[in-house]
Amino acid sequence: MKKIYGVAALLALFGLADALYLTIEHITGQSVRCTIISGCSEVLSSPYAVVAGIPLAIIGAAAYFTVFSLATLAIFGYRVAATLLRPLIIAMFFVSVWLIYLQAFVIREFCQYCLLSAAVTLALLVVMVIVPRLR
Amino acid sequence: MVAISSAHLRPRWQPQFEIPLYMKRILPFIIILVVLGAALGSAWYLTRTIPASPTLGTQSPSTSPVSQNSSAAQPAGNPGVPGAEPAHVLGPAAAPARLEEFGDFECPPCGMFHPILQQMHAEFGDQLQITFREFPLVPTHQHALAAASAAEAAGLQGRFWEMHDLLYDHQNEWKKEFDVRPIFERYAEQIGLDVERYKRDLGSDVVAQRIFVDGKRGHSLGVKGTPTVFLNGREVPFENLAAEKLRVVIQNEIRNPSK
Repeated sequence: MKKIYGVAALLALFGLADALYLTIEHITGQSVRCTIISGCSEVLSSPYAVVAGIPLAIIGAAAYFTVFSLATLAIFGYRVAATLLRPLIIAMFFVSVWLIYLQAFVIREFCQYCLLSAAVTLALLVVMVIVPRLR
Repeated sequence: MVAISSAHLRPRWQPQFEIPLYMKRILPFIIILVVLGAALGSAWYLTRTIPASPTLGTQSPSTSPVSQNSSAAQPAGNPGVPGAEPAHVLGPAAAPARLEEFGDFECPPCGMFHPILQQMHAEFGDQLQITFREFPLVPTHQHALAAASAAEAAGLQGRFWEMHDLLYDHQNEWKKEFDVRPIFERYAEQIGLDVERYKRDLGSDVVAQRIFVDGKRGHSLGVKGTPTVFLNGREVPFENLAAEKLRVVIQNEIRNPSK
């Protein structure tokens, strides 16, 4: 079980780095500059990128940081942390699904790092919720 | 009884090997604080505004034998190869602040930058010269090349800036369309072009060549994305393109033009 928390903590660190990158892009560029390789972000410059005046990327970074903290505490045996971890990850998963829906059907543009974040959340869901169920 | 229940309550993390208990309790918090510190530190480090940095010109002498088109007053290291001539310019060549934008009409941040640049033009008047260079990001933006061609074709009839403004102002109207030609023809009519000539010019070598040459200039200056803006030959960092920051950057340039 400890191993699972370790994997979750690593995934959360990865998600945190990704969300931090998005936050920095949001703050410094208002939106990302267009380049030849990656499409620039209509997503980050859209009104959906901000919730109640707070960039969504900051909220994402906070969520990943919380997952990291809880998983780290769980490794060291704090059982409360372990029980809080699952509902949080499930909530994050539903938020990710909503954000992918917005990108696919409302904004009709995708943002690579936003998709990466969704992938990390999906991986967290698999590791923390689906795999333990299968055992 | 008491003994049993207390044994039962024994925390699960009781170590099998000897690490002091208090260490095991505190360690996760230390790790969490370190990560928090690293995250906040890197965010702070990366969001602080970087002062205008000299352009990335590390040219080896062998690569550009011809390109030293020294228009003497370029203070930055890399003057780049020349763009299309005559360039699309607003404001006098003698202006103390000379701004050059590499833009793509389909790029959303370019569209957002457009009103900012108009505002700067209105505020600084003859103090600021604005040059527009075509930098359509072709694989990323399906209509960027068509839009650049439309603007250049309008330029052949002396109406480049009118088309430039229309394309940027109505970006959202055309970028999702399948066929943009009729829309651009409507714009051409709107700004009083000879539409038949405009349609012929769209596919002409002159137009294609101008876009290509501007692109070459962009590449020689290390332009990777749009909008990329140079002020007196130095690249303005993207985060300084917000109106209130750009205003300060331009003011500084007017005050100490040689710096």
